[in-house]
Amino acid sequence: MTPNGAVFVCLGVIAGALIAGNTTSLAALLVIALVLAFGSRQRVTTALFWSALIVLPLAGFMSLVWVGIVGRAPHEIATGAEGSRAAAASYVALVCLRLFIIALAIQATFLHFAGWTPLRFVGGLRAPPTVKRLLTLTLSLIETMTQAVDRARTALITAGIITRGRSLRNLRNGWLLVQTVWLTAITIVIARTRDKWTIEDTLARLDTAVAGNLRFSTEDLAWIGVAAFGIALAIGMR
Amino acid sequence: MGELIAGANFSGRSVALRERLKAVAPNAFYIGPHAEAALSGLSSTVGDEIAIYQSPTARAPFAQLDFEAWASRKPPTLSGGEQVLLALYCFSCSPYRAIGIDTALEQLDPANREDTLSYLSREDIDAVLVDNQLDTLDGWHCSTLQGDSVAFACNLPAAIAALPRRTVPRIEVRQLSFAYPGGRTIFRDFDLTLDPGRVYRFSGSNGAGKTTLFKLLAGVLAPQSGTLALDGVPYAPWRTGNRIFALATQNPDHQWCGATLAEDLSRRRAAVRRFGELVMPDDGALAHVAAKLGVPSFEQHLYELPLVARKRLSWLWPLCGTMPWVMLDEPTIGQDAATRAALAKAVGQLATLGYGVVFITHDNAFAAAIDHTPIRLGA
Repeated sequence: MTPNGAVFVCLGVIAGALIAGNTTSLAALLVIALVLAFGSRQRVTTALFWSALIVLPLAGFMSLVWVGIVGRAPHEIATGAEGSRAAAASYVALVCLRLFIIALAIQATFLHFAGWTPLRFVGGLRAPPTVKRLLTLTLSLIETMTQAVDRARTALITAGIITRGRSLRNLRNGWLLVQTVWLTAITIVIARTRDKWTIEDTLARLDTAVAGNLRFSTEDLAWIGVAAFGIALAIGMR
Repeated sequence: MGELIAGANFSGRSVALRERLKAVAPNAFYIGPHAEAALSGLSSTVGDEIAIYQSPTARAPFAQLDFEAWASRKPPTLSGGEQVLLALYCFSCSPYRAIGIDTALEQLDPANREDTLSYLSREDIDAVLVDNQLDTLDGWHCSTLQGDSVAFACNLPAAIAALPRRTVPRIEVRQLSFAYPGGRTIFRDFDLTLDPGRVYRFSGSNGAGKTTLFKLLAGVLAPQSGTLALDGVPYAPWRTGNRIFALATQNPDHQWCGATLAEDLSRRRAAVRRFGELVMPDDGALAHVAAKLGVPSFEQHLYELPLVARKRLSWLWPLCGTMPWVMLDEPTIGQDAATRAALAKAVGQLATLGYGVVFITHDNAFAAAIDHTPIRLGA
């Protein structure tokens, strides 16, 4: 799959998940997301784990509010029906499943590009240079944050404020790490943009570095077809 | 012809360098004093960093290291010197004709430094250089800026005048092995003994593991195997936290624990309180040392200071006497001759008072001014 195909497939599955109005169509989209993940031939357990982890807090909170406290589903409240906790639970499951599919679809797409760097991925997209620049800049913030975490940890560990391993001190001073990471990230970005980028016009160099335009492949078209089927199913079963 | 801009700190050399480059922008490459201003920050691997600058019209590459073999490595995992060499390699692959280097060459070992200066002397390169270890350079146009150095004036002898004598533990490292995850082995069965009241210099080529050893001793990294002991008592800073070393990092911004000096020191004070044997001077004494290092206000926002002043202020923690051992990672970078000489003297005084000192530098003249024991790392 090329990056262009990946973007279309991912957006297609997300659109399908947003349109789907019942658990059956969502289940079909979950299958599509899983097929997409397994089709990458990479280990999918991490993607499943993170998707579940993302959904878990929402599931807990919604269960507490809708099932535990309100005891009715929103559509039952709207129609003035007496309602039930079972309907509320079904509503919570629907929302959480939708979020799970979206999180999984994004990760499944990226699994297809394991080993690719952000620059290579952006280089393969058919998009205007400005969009590519913005994408590269946005993706480079991931590395910036990683670097900031490393720097902040070094500072706080050497000062004895936190420890390298797990400790109570880390729990107590975790907020200091968060604060230091943000401060560090900001200073890293300022240091780059103030002198280096202005002197070199570094961003203009990206236009050449990400100039590639990959055509849609047969595999892209097949995956896009699967995603389109998911959308059609979601619309048809509403 | 290249141009060397000489002068003391705060004489306006960095501003002059940037002005020269901006005059030819965007046809100039820039390597700032630290990694954040040396590499583009837009790439996640060495290969991508090269790809950003690569041009078919480039000159012959200046490859001091095998960067093609390191294509998948993340730039921040390279040592400071290696990052400077990577930036130079990118420049050599790029279409830029001009290059400005602000004190970054001070991070290179003598061999790489000599090769770099020779490369920058090529006729097809317009280099502008600020370097504290050079007053003149054969074949280069040299200008010396006269500036007002009163701001952030540093008085090191006065800063450590009140430092008390100290009893310091011996450090024994035995059979230490360390490799970065998925990377090469840096240490294998490494032994080291550091006696109190002595000064040690870790030396070696760029990437030999000098800063890595600092991080292991301070508990930032954990070894795969091996032990550390203080006066024969096992010590594992990677588990229990650092209570021995006061580290001044190569880039001062890698050591701040707050936005202001007051915030930084109050957090250190709270951390030190856990260790009964450590006594941190009161705020008045710390403010006195800070003032002698050129920063009179305790409420000073650290990132608003010029880099040279931040570097000097980074010595506050090692010089305040809280920790028994002092670690200085490339302390002379960006510092003029007078400050380097004063620092060398201060390091000697620390040892006389019983403290242990470990330092890393590629500045041989600075090291020669200190009575020290060299420890060579790497092949």
